[in-house]
Parts: sequence; structure tokens; C-alpha cells
Amino acid sequence: MPGPKPLPGWIARAAAEPIDAAAFRSGAALAHLALVAAADVPLPLWRDRLALAAAETCVAMAGRREGQGALRDALHLTRAGGDPGPAGRILRQWSRAVARPISVAGLDRLLDGIAPEQIGLCLDTAGPTPVDRAAAVIETVLADTPRAETAALILADAVLARGWGQGHAVPLLSLALKPRDLGLRGDDLRLACHRAVAAGAAQAVSLASDLARAATRLRAVTPKLRAGGAGRAVDLFLSREALTPGAFDFMSDRAARRLCDRLVDLGAVRELTGRETFRLYGL
Amino acid sequence: MGSDVKNARKETVFDRGLADLPADLRWREWLCRIEAVLFASASPVPRDNLARVVGPGASLDLLIEDLAVELEGRPYEVAQVGTGWMLRTKPAYAPAIRAAADVGGKALNLSEHDLAVLAAIAFHQPISRDGLKDIFGKEISRDLIGRLAVRELIGTGPREPRRGAPYTFVTTDVFLATFGMASLRDLPDPEQLDDSGLAAL
Repeated sequence: MPGPKPLPGWIARAAAEPIDAAAFRSGAALAHLALVAAADVPLPLWRDRLALAAAETCVAMAGRREGQGALRDALHLTRAGGDPGPAGRILRQWSRAVARPISVAGLDRLLDGIAPEQIGLCLDTAGPTPVDRAAAVIETVLADTPRAETAALILADAVLARGWGQGHAVPLLSLALKPRDLGLRGDDLRLACHRAVAAGAAQAVSLASDLARAATRLRAVTPKLRAGGAGRAVDLFLSREALTPGAFDFMSDRAARRLCDRLVDLGAVRELTGRETFRLYGL
Repeated sequence: MGSDVKNARKETVFDRGLADLPADLRWREWLCRIEAVLFASASPVPRDNLARVVGPGASLDLLIEDLAVELEGRPYEVAQVGTGWMLRTKPAYAPAIRAAADVGGKALNLSEHDLAVLAAIAFHQPISRDGLKDIFGKEISRDLIGRLAVRELIGTGPREPRRGAPYTFVTTDVFLATFGMASLRDLPDPEQLDDSGLAAL
């Protein structure tokens, strides 16, 4: 299977450039990305893994140092309804944001401190291109609530995603914007966003091809799995970027652990933590 | 006050929308309700709870803004804390309040060591008792953790991925409110602490 093609180098990178050149690249990047997303990519899984990277950016913007491993741990080792701590909360926001279709009600539940009316206004923002609309969202949200970087980026990536034909938020800007970019205004911010979309799309496309290959491998070994519930477990692996065996609540704990080990042996799933206990598995 | 709130809840239909009132009186009543709810609560009231006492289409932010304007001449103000709001006295009146009753210090009633542990949790959260032991060089007692938890300054966070899976502790919105912070970003900058040699705290 050929899989998604990487983003051509001229789209992914450029030196200092005027805004129209950056806008040309961001448009080309989104067009390429739309083709990739329409191909055989496990989209929920792809978005969930992108959400992890986006959360890492947002955690750093909040002045914290947790890396992706610590974020995963915080999310997966918190009992249902518990408080995963300041960094874990950001990852939880992101993974919920990409898991459900974009809606005012859904985003309102996630984004504390942002009024539903403002979420509605953000989603209806006008502008010549999706990237310009996303930049306007960042500027508006941060003008009202300067520290709401995570909310601003979730809303911006949601608006952007709608612009290139997605029903779910897809982290792109959040992969590549730098903390200082969020201090920019007007054309400077729009330029930073166009550049970030091209850079973010390059990462997203390369992740999409990795995950497409991994998903093909996983589907290929699925018929070899005899455990009851293996099919449902495979579906979960194709929608969540990391799982504890405890997530397979439709099988016994022991069976879930055996299945995960077997999938690792078959090379279809990776153990993500390198630990002997409290292991997390994912593609 | 408290009993009024209870009675209002007991009524089978609580009229959120107040459709039979003219617009200005309706707005007025919503303002009063929000102020009453904030007044009755010792801890920050989340947005969703406030949204329940006003019409579904009403902008909570505009109402809060109006309330803030209304309270301008008063010795207390509406403050955003974490994801909610609370009424609190303005800092200028702290000396008067202390002179009258020494409320602030007594309400918390924590030792210096308790507060140091609380600060360590705030900066290093999520952190377990073992993590705190590494920072302070001695065992942090369950009693101390209990004192902080009973005051709702801390809650439990994720478990640590190691033997025994100890629970970590995280600070709460009550913690933010108690120390007059809107978010954890109001904590002193860790880099400043590094520079001044306080990083170990």
C-alpha cells in the first residue's frame, strides 16, 4: 500500500517571506492535507495523537515543563472523574476536543472561562481564508482572556479544520505556533499562522503515513487474534493514541494484558512507556 | 439567606427565564440572583451553576460585568477565580477586617510548615507524599496532608506509575481563592525562584 505522500518540501518550509507567499503555501498544505485525510488514515487515532502534541505545546505556553510521557501518565492514571492536575487537564481538553464533532455545546463543556456566546462567535468568524479566520479567533480570545492560550488554540484549530472540510478539530496551528507568536497581532499574527499551518501540516502528514502503515499492520494480524473481544480492542487502538489494558472493560484484566502483550509480540502495537508496570499501549 | 435558597430549590418549577417580567426587571432579578448565589457561597461558584439561575439565553459575562460595575463603591468585589466567580472583600479593607476579628489567619489555621508543604504541592503538582519527602528531606505526615485536604486546598490527582501506585496531590480552586489567585499562573515564576536560589522549595 503506497500510503499518504509526504508534504512537498517547498510547501513545508520557506525562509522569511511576505504574507501572500506564506498564504500560498498554507493553502497548498491544506489542500494536500485534505487529500491525505480522505485516504486510508485512521482519523480518530490521528487526531488523538496530534492532540497529544498540541497539548505539549499548550502546557509549555502555560509555563510548565511536562513532556508527552508525563501528559499521558497524568491522563491515564487518573481515575474517572478525578483531577489529572494542571498539565493533564490540558491534554484532557485537547483529546476531548478532537474526539467529538465541532459544536458550540461540545466546546462549551470543554473550555472553562469562555462563554458559549463567544464560542459561537468564534465558530462564525468571517475572513478571506480559513487561516485568517483562525488567526482572528486567536486574537479575539486572547484579547478577552490573555491566559486562555489552550482555549484560543482549540477554537482556532476547530475553525481552521472546518475551513478545510473537517467536522472535527484537527490540531495544526497548535503544533507549530511558538509562545511568542501568540503575542502578535494583525498581519504579523496572520503571517505566523500561515507559516504554522504549513509546518504543522508537514508534521500531520508524516504522522498520518506512519499511522496508516501501523493500522495496516494491525488489521493484518487481527484475524490471528482468538481472544474474545479482540475486534473491539483493535477498534479502540484505531481511535485512541494510548490505552491501558484496563480500557478494555469488555474483557477480563488478565485477558486484556495478554492481548496487549500478544499484539506487541506481533509487532502490531507498541508499549509506549518502557515501564514494567503501569504500561500504556498504542500504535 | 441559606434557607431562602433551599426553599427556592424545593419549588417544583424554578423560573429561570422570568418570561413574564419586562426586560429590565428581568435583568435586575438575574443580577440579584447571581449576587445572592455568590454571597451565599464560601468558595468560587462555577459558571455552570450560575448559568442555572438565569435565562438560558442570558450572557453570564455581561451579567457579571454589570454586577462588577454595581459593586464599584462597595468594599467587596466580584472576582474570577479559576473557572468560577466569588465575592470577596477588597484588599484595602484587610487591615480593618484583621483589626476587628483576625479572621484571615484563624480561618486557615495552618502552621508555617503546613504552608511550606502546600507551596511545594502548588509548584510541583501533581506530587505524591514520596515526592514531598524528597523535597523536604523527611516524611510528610498523613495528618498534614489531611489538614490541607479538609480545608479543600488540595485534592487527589493521578496516581504515580510505580510500586503501590501512590496518589499525587493537586491544588484546588479553593486554594486559588484563598490566596487571591485567578490561576496557577499567578504563582511566582519558577525561573525567578531558580535565580533567587529558592528552587528547592
